[in-house]
Amino acid sequence: MTIRYRPHPDLRLSSLEGEGVALQLGTRRYFTVNKTGLVILEALATPRTLDELVAVVVERFEVTREQATTSVRGFLDRCREAELISELEGEG
Amino acid sequence: MSSGIKIHCPDPAIRRSVESWLEEGRIEPPLPLGIDIHLQALPRRPDLPPPVFRQPGVTLHLLPPDNRLLISWETAPAVAELSSDDRCARVVLSPQAVEHIEESKRTFLLTVLIFLLRRVGWHHVHGGTAVDPTGRGWLFAGNSGSGKSTTTALVGTRGWAVGTDDIAFLAQTGERVEARSFRSRIGLRPGGQDLLARMGGVPLPDRGKVGYWPDELGGTWAPRVEPEIVMFTTVGDDSTRAERLGPGETLAELVRWSAWVVVEPGLAEQHLALLARLGRQSRAYRLSLGRDLFRHPDLLSELIR
Repeated sequence: MTIRYRPHPDLRLSSLEGEGVALQLGTRRYFTVNKTGLVILEALATPRTLDELVAVVVERFEVTREQATTSVRGFLDRCREAELISELEGEG
Repeated sequence: MSSGIKIHCPDPAIRRSVESWLEEGRIEPPLPLGIDIHLQALPRRPDLPPPVFRQPGVTLHLLPPDNRLLISWETAPAVAELSSDDRCARVVLSPQAVEHIEESKRTFLLTVLIFLLRRVGWHHVHGGTAVDPTGRGWLFAGNSGSGKSTTTALVGTRGWAVGTDDIAFLAQTGERVEARSFRSRIGLRPGGQDLLARMGGVPLPDRGKVGYWPDELGGTWAPRVEPEIVMFTTVGDDSTRAERLGPGETLAELVRWSAWVVVEPGLAEQHLALLARLGRQSRAYRLSLGRDLFRHPDLLSELIR
């Protein structure tokens, strides 16, 4: 089973010079998002797996795959908790 | 002068009172809007969903199934209803609310106006506005008591044009964002009056302040201000300090002081885009206001070159 991540339907994202704010319209909370977080959330325009998101981050920033994995995993956990993203389970 | 917002009300005195308030505010929306006022007792609504937003005296509810907005006044029974594409608000004032019609203008009816103007792309920001002598537009955003009114009054005494001390509407004009001012007296608390060594003014009992028009302070009124400098104000100690904010912090602060962005999902994207555009066109600072500002009233212009 593969988990893909996608934006929560109540997420609205706004960016300014590479940083952003994520608005959760259901809970009416908002969060600042740094450059890496913004790249990840923007990449979720298409649902993606953890590995795919790590590849996006490695390509955009000067980090090792291990560092990116830790960073992306932590970010996805926080986003899931804040209901900014949801998970899609599927084959392959 | 017409405000561009048509008031319907069976009681001519109430209609005239609301019209006068809007005319004084000199708000000219880009499309015709209306407020349809009904005068009747209000039944209790035990079926209301929990409020989605609460501010002093006013609560907001989104009603199922279509997220119609209900604005409810807590001081006296009064409600307003609006769907996201309405250009006319349906307002019901109880007899008790009619008795407090003047007070309702600063709280309940102002909230109705704020949500009506959202329908034509004008988004409220809790901030004061001014234009300095070199033509730069300033927005001072922050909470009540954060020094916005005292600062706008102070710069008014230095000949700046002042738009408003706390009711501004952001609107896109071409590629730029302007802050349209709701014209009302700049309200000073006794401490602000002392700092500015001001006498006179008109008591504003519902705000606990004394009010001055910008021209009474030596300035002029600016109906439109294009902010180049955005200040998020707090009251500090003796020294005035300005700290430049990064883009993420700027956007978050704009969301904070234009907080209605979280209320109506159908209008959130447009509102957020406007805030981002304002962030792009301006430099933003966290401004700690010190007492030295009153000894050196041109300090703001000197701090922000």
